[in-house]
Amino acid sequence: MIEAAVAFPDSPQSPHDPLFSDYPVATAGYDEMYSAPGVLRPHWRDMARFLENTGGVELERRYSEIQRLLQADGVTYNTYDDPHDSQRRWLLDPVPLLMTGEDWTELAAGLEQRSRLLNTLLADLYGPRLAIRRGWLPPELVYAHPSFLPACHQSLPANDRWLIFHGVDLARGSDGVFRVYGDRVQSPSGAGYTLENRIILARALPMLYRDAPLRRLASFLETERATLTRLARHRPENPHVVLLTPGPSNPVYFEHAYLANYLSLSLVEGEDLVVRDGRVWLKTLGGLRPVDVILRRVLDAFCDPLELRGDSLLGVPGLLQAVRSGHVALANALGAGLVENPGLAAFLPLLCRQLLGEDLKLSSLPTWWCGHSGDRDYVLTHLDELVVRSILPSSPYWEGGQLTAAARVQLNERIQAAPHLFVAQAPALLSTAPVLEDGRLTPRPVMLRGFSVAEDQGYRVMPGGLARVSSGLDTLQAALQKGGISKDWWVLAPTPQRHVSLLRQAYGPIVVTRDGSDLPSRVADDLFWLGRYVERLDGNARLLREALGRLLEWEQDNTDERCLDDLLDALDIPVPPVAESPRARFFALRQELLNLVIAAEHPGSVKAIFGGLLRTGRAVRNHLGDDSWRLLNRLQQRIQEPPQEIGARQARELLEEELMLVAAFSSLNNETMPHHQGWLFFDVGRYLERVLRTLDLFKLAFITARNPGLPLWEVVLTITDNLTAYRRRYRSALHPTAIIDLLLFDEGNPRAVGYQLRRLQRHIGRLQQPSGSPYRSVEERLILESLTTLQLADIAALATLSHDSTRSSAELTRLLDALQTPLMGLSDALTHSHFSHAEVPQQLITMRP
Amino acid sequence: MRYTITHRTLYQYSSGVALCHNEARLLPKETPWQLCRPSQIRIRPRPALSDERLDFFGNRVLYFAIQDVHYRLEVTVVTEVRVLDERPFHESSPSPSWEQARQMLWENPDPEIIEARLFALDSPFVATGPAFRDYAEPSFPPGRPLLAAVADLNQRIYSDFKYDPHFTTVATPLDEVLQERRGVCQDFAHLGIACLRGLGLAARYVSGYLETLPPPGQSRLIGADASHAWLAVYVPGVGWAEFDPTNDCMPNTQHVTLAWGRDYGDVAPLTGVMTGGGSHSLKVSVDVAPQAEAAVKKFKPATNEIQPAPEP
Repeated sequence: MIEAAVAFPDSPQSPHDPLFSDYPVATAGYDEMYSAPGVLRPHWRDMARFLENTGGVELERRYSEIQRLLQADGVTYNTYDDPHDSQRRWLLDPVPLLMTGEDWTELAAGLEQRSRLLNTLLADLYGPRLAIRRGWLPPELVYAHPSFLPACHQSLPANDRWLIFHGVDLARGSDGVFRVYGDRVQSPSGAGYTLENRIILARALPMLYRDAPLRRLASFLETERATLTRLARHRPENPHVVLLTPGPSNPVYFEHAYLANYLSLSLVEGEDLVVRDGRVWLKTLGGLRPVDVILRRVLDAFCDPLELRGDSLLGVPGLLQAVRSGHVALANALGAGLVENPGLAAFLPLLCRQLLGEDLKLSSLPTWWCGHSGDRDYVLTHLDELVVRSILPSSPYWEGGQLTAAARVQLNERIQAAPHLFVAQAPALLSTAPVLEDGRLTPRPVMLRGFSVAEDQGYRVMPGGLARVSSGLDTLQAALQKGGISKDWWVLAPTPQRHVSLLRQAYGPIVVTRDGSDLPSRVADDLFWLGRYVERLDGNARLLREALGRLLEWEQDNTDERCLDDLLDALDIPVPPVAESPRARFFALRQELLNLVIAAEHPGSVKAIFGGLLRTGRAVRNHLGDDSWRLLNRLQQRIQEPPQEIGARQARELLEEELMLVAAFSSLNNETMPHHQGWLFFDVGRYLERVLRTLDLFKLAFITARNPGLPLWEVVLTITDNLTAYRRRYRSALHPTAIIDLLLFDEGNPRAVGYQLRRLQRHIGRLQQPSGSPYRSVEERLILESLTTLQLADIAALATLSHDSTRSSAELTRLLDALQTPLMGLSDALTHSHFSHAEVPQQLITMRP
Repeated sequence: MRYTITHRTLYQYSSGVALCHNEARLLPKETPWQLCRPSQIRIRPRPALSDERLDFFGNRVLYFAIQDVHYRLEVTVVTEVRVLDERPFHESSPSPSWEQARQMLWENPDPEIIEARLFALDSPFVATGPAFRDYAEPSFPPGRPLLAAVADLNQRIYSDFKYDPHFTTVATPLDEVLQERRGVCQDFAHLGIACLRGLGLAARYVSGYLETLPPPGQSRLIGADASHAWLAVYVPGVGWAEFDPTNDCMPNTQHVTLAWGRDYGDVAPLTGVMTGGGSHSLKVSVDVAPQAEAAVKKFKPATNEIQPAPEP
């Protein structure tokens, strides 16, 4: 494997590179790499050698490369509270965390048992409730917690599993012992990030990863897929499995899209699904398609507005009833969130003996439940050593040792008022692992998230998982929102293991999943709007670029700037009132234009339009190619992080670059998306937007212009990028009739209305018609009306435009209106025929406690 | 007593409803003191599917879905019930002191008592607090028998609060009810429950019907009755004692039980989620018609039949 230039002696010993100068650690804690100052743990020997050979400078370079790759792949962790740039970067340390096979085997046995225990506990609490009736678990702990959902009582057949996927937060303490910090079952995220971390590191550090003796992850994900398939009791041959996501604004949406792609599932949102005839169906362009299994990443309470939270828009009305009738299986079952209750930790040793007849192998963090008077007294007298938490979801915690006297009294009162809602934990110091910081390895506390998945008998544990730098007090979500650093967690194998090609297969340049008539209607809708936003961005960026160009020319040469007013009209921003001096006017105009480039307030600004583009783009993440996605990420960087103190000239250059990226994005989609239903909607969106904009531009230049004439005509040709085409064809001064021929009637010029209408007609004709009717659909009739109007237009009547003829001008107005009116109805007609899923369900009665 | 209860709910929509899923808790419960004949359930338009089950609290729930476009939804349930004078507690029933009852509730390992602790905790519509405890306190001097104390509280709610159907809605917070001293039966039941839970006792919400007697010399108005609600307090080891704060009484043969739960949210008579519908209007009519005892036949255990719809 890794050849070392400097051979290490066989006895574990500390390397001497400056990389290691923060090591050895002198503290009494447990370090993953060193067993004592100067004594390297044997299983780190090869890694330390590799790190030393690579050196701090090169590692920093690789670190940058890793972050670049992550960003290019769009690995993000975004938060709800930041509306504009809502995506956080995912940070990944280049140094993996190593664990011996022996350590892992013991840990995995504990995790497997924990999954079995929690599954048994769920079956009991939503069934006979022996744990409560026999006094093993206090009723207050379960019943007072909002995760207990009476509606889920007995909702699964007796032998079905409640827990399919299980995420466990754990850490090794300074005493070297692993303890569990919490369980994640409603949306046990992290497996996708784990996989992506592994793939990115293998790309950035191929020498290290190619033949490393580590357990691979692919077979675990194979088990996940097999388990999901097996859940489809009624249609085991070819079940339809979907991943239900809360949508692109969810912090871990990246992972939802990633896993759906990797496991070949349809990525759906609540509104894509409907319950009819007691079954769950996916609304597609071709009609309803049955769903057999739902891998859900929506919290329990939000999954069914009929029986659970009535105000939820993320769920599917009637879902729980469909589960009861046995026609659909959910992983995890609804109600599973019950076992995320941190108070359970205090009772697991007893429950494990009673429910499984086994001793608990893997302990939790020492936990006291304040509902017991003895525990409460202990907590209140030992506050200094403890961390107090409310058991309610997303509640704060209090570090007893850090509290002021007043805060302590206040906490005491809160606990006394509802003791059953509080637990206290004794956090241990976490073990440390080397993390690259400023070219050196620094010992940092790490937490782990392990994963297990149900298989035929018991549970299978992922060999490895997600490691992250953390003090142990915050949750994964909190840590990542603050910009935490993740690490790849290696489980060492006795022999080198090849980097399995399964990963490559699934990860390779697959571009489009499921297309055609089984395309979800919502996805078609989003693709249509993606197309419209792309073209809108292109159009406004062109207008802005032109306006900034005119502004700069005016400043330099004092040339005619009158058409700037018309450009402002086209951009839908008010023309600034007459200024005292040309200088003042210049600055006012400049500010207006710059705002459209770098601020997001105006709906026509580049930023605002891009916001729509990105939202729809993320919603159809799995229908875009990886390269398209990289372009989108780059475009996002340019648009959302423009340089500070930007001037007109830099803004123009920035727009130039953005235009190239948008053009690359559209044409890459044309080149990579199969030209089936999904692409058709994207293309129809683009050309509908383009034709509407072109007609607007005509109206502006030839009918409503404040300053009609040659300069404006030239602007029209520049904005449509047809100035050269015009010159080549006509070799003459600008003449309106010639411009109109080039940009209105020409059916071979992609910038001309004629071409655009033809293309729309062709593609609308190919859209899947839900009705299957032999007659023309509304949208087909509308486009036909517009195209025919154009083809029957009397070109001769427009020939005198340049002479300011009122007749010609009126004729043109009539023509443009006749072209535009049917097109305005087209968007609505498409929505009605293809996307009418969007109606939000409402409650019969409003009940809000 | 024997009654024929007719509960009719009519929703009318301003635009078509394409799909609706509903849950009805309109089928009366069987209890040792209440026997039910199979209900006649009439739902228009006819549901594509329906299914009855028992919920977590043992209430009968009817799920149904309508999958064709409709502009009105009518649900009528007709049930014959017989209410016996066999409720476990009466005004004169002995009971332990309320402190003893509380201690038993929290310390006795009997499975049934442990389970009853669910009803001593806050629930979505009933969050207790010092204000409720303070209001309850005068009724609970040390050593007073539990039932006497609750009867006193029941009487005080009856006389301190004004029945005012225009003041509250389902969503009016309980604090406001306490402050303004007005509300309807649902609010009074919630209020009593909050007071009892605030003292560490277990109390539950009961939904049902009440036979109303016409003024002397007048005949009964058909359909003018209403859904009713009251509360029950748990006497550990013995059972649940019911109190009706709206009428200052302990329910007996005039009270017909539909369902019970932690609060109104667990027993709402008809809930649903629909696609479409625009705005809607609601009409509810309830008729509790007493039947001659002589006509009592043998009662069978309750199972329902959904009537086949006559073709229009």
